[in-house]
Amino acid sequence: MNARLPLLSLAAALAATAAFAQFGGLDLGKLTKAVDTAKASGKLLKGAVGIGPVEERKIGEATAVEIIGRYGGLVRDDDIMRRVNLLGRSLARYSSRPNLEWNFAVLNSDTVNAFSTPGGLVFITRGLYAQAGSDDALAGALGHEIAHITNRDALKIVQRGDTTAGARDLLLQNSAQARAVDSTVSQVGSLLGFDVLGLVKKIVDSGFDAPTEFTADKDGRGLAIQTGYAPGGLRAVLTGLQAKGENRKTVFATHPPLADRLKRLPNDPLPPAAPVVAEAKEQPAAETK
Amino acid sequence: MKTTLPRVLLLAGLCAVSAFAAFEAGSFAYTKRLETKLLAEPKPLAEVSGKVAFAHKVKVEQVQGAWLRVSEGPVSGWVFGGNLTDAKPDETSKLDGVALMASNTTATAAARPLDDEVVKYAEQRNLGDARADLEWMQKTGTEITTEDVDQFLQEKKKGEFQ
Repeated sequence: MNARLPLLSLAAALAATAAFAQFGGLDLGKLTKAVDTAKASGKLLKGAVGIGPVEERKIGEATAVEIIGRYGGLVRDDDIMRRVNLLGRSLARYSSRPNLEWNFAVLNSDTVNAFSTPGGLVFITRGLYAQAGSDDALAGALGHEIAHITNRDALKIVQRGDTTAGARDLLLQNSAQARAVDSTVSQVGSLLGFDVLGLVKKIVDSGFDAPTEFTADKDGRGLAIQTGYAPGGLRAVLTGLQAKGENRKTVFATHPPLADRLKRLPNDPLPPAAPVVAEAKEQPAAETK
Repeated sequence: MKTTLPRVLLLAGLCAVSAFAAFEAGSFAYTKRLETKLLAEPKPLAEVSGKVAFAHKVKVEQVQGAWLRVSEGPVSGWVFGGNLTDAKPDETSKLDGVALMASNTTATAAARPLDDEVVKYAEQRNLGDARADLEWMQKTGTEITTEDVDQFLQEKKKGEFQ
């Protein structure tokens, strides 16, 4: 049933476009209407055949702005930025998308979590950075987030949402009342042609579904191994958090329970803990900007 | 106990690597970087014997640990397994590299500005500080070059320097 929707939507869009092509005269009103229809059709096509790199970057940046805003800004520490970027880019180099413009940063929050947005932007919280400690463990955590990007997990959500939005836009073309209501609801998010807040809600509030997360665990582990890091890096992070007592509100709140993730990871030996790692200190809001 | 741990880790790592990169002599693989260098020897700093462009199919002639000797027509040489993939990369991924190539033209290339629509979006949402942070993140990112990552891998004995 769901698989039919994009095709039906695409057919509706093409039919609508064809209908406009039949108009002989050209006035501004018709032209505007035709452009709007083309935009809606474009959304449908984007939903059906994929999102290009420029759009992907735009989606990633808008989503990143929201995440940074919600998690206290970034930790502006040159040494920490250098470490996460060198390690993260080493992993990304051997990923399935080595040519992306990868950037890594630490969010100024003591919760334990990590996020990634399309286009190659990866964030871990100060709490997770401190918990990870060793390069092996950090590689495990970053590898998981890199996998979300290479697997296009967030883009798949946008694609599904975009297709629906495109179909909805076409249905609203001739309804001024409905258009007014719609513009109020999506006034901000629609600026970019996709539902930014909806995607942020998925990434930050509810998280990806469990199978998607388990796949990212598996792929991230593989990437860490390929790069030369210990296979048990991610397991070390999760085990450490479990030993401290999992708090679902502050520890990987958007991920499946730690026990479920650990159960699905191979029982790799845990790598040695880090000797001494520079800790990302909490920064007053004024200093983070 | 302490001396056996690294051996156990190494063994587990080797097993896992062989499971991850399942290339065999006679099989085919694809290049995934914009330009993949083929080397005269299975060593990261060996002489470059040829180059293969993005998403080209290469034949695996020989496997030596994490290194593969591959050929594409008359061109052959060694490449680290992590630089190849067993599935053909989609064409969209080729465009991933446009910005990267531009930013690598100089070691201190300027950061690419945020998309205009993203800037407007941040303004509408009153996320000016977050926008400034993102711009700082991307600017700081451009200061770390490909050569820095090469050096990091070499120092840490990771990737092709394992």
